[in-house]
Amino acid sequence: MNLRGAIAIWRRDMLVLRRSIFSELVAVVAYPLTIYLAFGIGMQGYIGPVDGVSYGLFIAPGLITMTAVNAAYNESVWSLWFHRKVQFTIESYRVTPISVSEIVIAKILSGFSHGLVKGLAVALVIFAITPFRFPLTSLVAYLAFLIPGSALFSCAGVISGTLMDKPETIGRVEAVLIMPLIFMSGLFFPLSSYPPAVASLVRLLPTTALFEGARQTLVNGSFSIPFSASLYLFAAAAFAAALLIFRSKLAE
Amino acid sequence: MHRDIFPAYHARSCHYNLLFPMKADTAIIARAVTKRYGSLTALDSFDLEVERGTIFALLGPNGAGKTTLIRILTTLMRPTSGEAFVSGLNTARQGREIRRQIGVVPQENSLDRYLTARENLELHARLHTMEPKKYRRRIDELLELFGLAGRQHDFPDTFSGGMQRRLVVARALIHEPMVLFLDEPTTGLDPQSRRAVWDYIRSIAGRMTIFLTTHYLEEAEQLCERIAIMDHGRLITIGSSAELKAQLTGGATYEIEFADRAELFAEALRRMSCVGGLEIADRVVTVKLERWECLAEVVSALNGAELRRISLRERTLEEVFISLTGKGVRE
Ligand SMILES: Nc1ncnc2c1ncn2[C@@H]1O[C@H](COP(=O)(O)OP(=O)(O)OP(=O)(O)O)[C@@H](O)[C@H]1O
Ligand SMILES: [Mg+2]
Repeated sequence: MNLRGAIAIWRRDMLVLRRSIFSELVAVVAYPLTIYLAFGIGMQGYIGPVDGVSYGLFIAPGLITMTAVNAAYNESVWSLWFHRKVQFTIESYRVTPISVSEIVIAKILSGFSHGLVKGLAVALVIFAITPFRFPLTSLVAYLAFLIPGSALFSCAGVISGTLMDKPETIGRVEAVLIMPLIFMSGLFFPLSSYPPAVASLVRLLPTTALFEGARQTLVNGSFSIPFSASLYLFAAAAFAAALLIFRSKLAE
Repeated sequence: MHRDIFPAYHARSCHYNLLFPMKADTAIIARAVTKRYGSLTALDSFDLEVERGTIFALLGPNGAGKTTLIRILTTLMRPTSGEAFVSGLNTARQGREIRRQIGVVPQENSLDRYLTARENLELHARLHTMEPKKYRRRIDELLELFGLAGRQHDFPDTFSGGMQRRLVVARALIHEPMVLFLDEPTTGLDPQSRRAVWDYIRSIAGRMTIFLTTHYLEEAEQLCERIAIMDHGRLITIGSSAELKAQLTGGATYEIEFADRAELFAEALRRMSCVGGLEIADRVVTVKLERWECLAEVVSALNGAELRRISLRERTLEEVFISLTGKGVRE
């Protein structure tokens, strides 16, 4: 497939991101940073070490990951909705020779890029204000989680933004599905806190593969192949689903 | 860029000629195109042919199905049944080839408000796989032509409605399409902007086939060689403006202006059998004649009157439109 059209649309999205990068980053860094200050520093003394590390260190990888995937999801879902229902720009793309798949690939790529840029921004801030230092190999291995994680959430955002026509529905899905998925998969507590039966179910979630895998890589320096493999599989499935759903919605 | 697809296009059009005998100079064909939205039939077995290089207007009241037809022809939507061809290419199978050749001005402006006017054009040039060297010059030309050069680095939501509309038209022309679809191109424009768009449409006519919908009958009359009127998803009539007017049945309407004693003569005229209707406003009497042969009788009845003027009232396209589509307002 020729991706020139997809690249043109992705470039458009990056141009728009560049224009507002400063205010976007301030907004996006504020939330995880507040959580870090409240829990990682404020509550640290009450909580004590978790899984053998200080609580601040325990939650730091999750905060970076959460920022990235939230940003990827949000960008995709709102961009899809806005360009489809408000601005009708998707329709204007559809009377040019590019294919519908190129449009959806562009949007997935844009959400993914937002996730990566914003996740890395938060990572830099957290590395700057904390004493934690990670070996380079761990950081590179962490990217092996961050990349499919952002891709997965970008695809999920594209699916939601394609299926949902009303902004209030988008907000609800985020509240009842996305946030609980993120919080349940051990962002703030170890999976060992769950009763064993529940824990083995929670382990199957893509978000667990992402958050647990990312933490193990950064904090323990161990790379979980099952988590990583499952995450790539989920991301690939979400990509296929996004493509199919977008195409069938536009064929209506 | 258009050139390299021509061989393929010719091969295909020959192929289709075997299946569906069609004139080589037909740009747009709809054959029994039907579109249903649930139980509502927006297009009902619609047939149409538009000759290459002409300016064609599709008229119809709100909800008649004009936009639905344009969406099918521009490959945005598939018909429930029937077939449509643009430049000999089948909308069901050759969407991408069709989209290379068409420019579309949708009913709703679909500008990107986060991009400047120029960036809007650049994005579409890239989507049409134009090279920067070529599209930069083309964009300069179009911005100049549509009077937007001075505002090219501004965002379209700071533009007036007319400027936004002109930008959408410019966007549709960036790749020099063969067929241009305009869905109500001048709705909301002031007379100056409207005329600027008309002038441009006229200047490119001949090279390009132009298919437009409009609610301004004057626009159709001024611009278009052929006019179709549709309603309830069906084609009602098609022809030149003069042909459509000639279809209006009934006789002719004359206006007679008197210097004085208008009422007196009006009474005499009213009693004549061939006068179908009569209205009087101040010193002007409007008479509707059943047949034009009655004119001689009327003139002799006016013997002795001091006349200022007798004139034939021109049929307007609006009369044709109303007589064919009724007076009721559509919900
Ligand atoms: N997506 C849709 N779902 C359901 N019905 C639709 C849809 N789009 C159009 N219609 C209906 O189809 C009919 C034709 O609509 P269309 O937009 O083609 O009319 P139009 O001639 O362009 O009208 P206007 O002059 O108001 O633009 C209308 O009755 C409209 O309500
Ligand atoms: Mg319409």
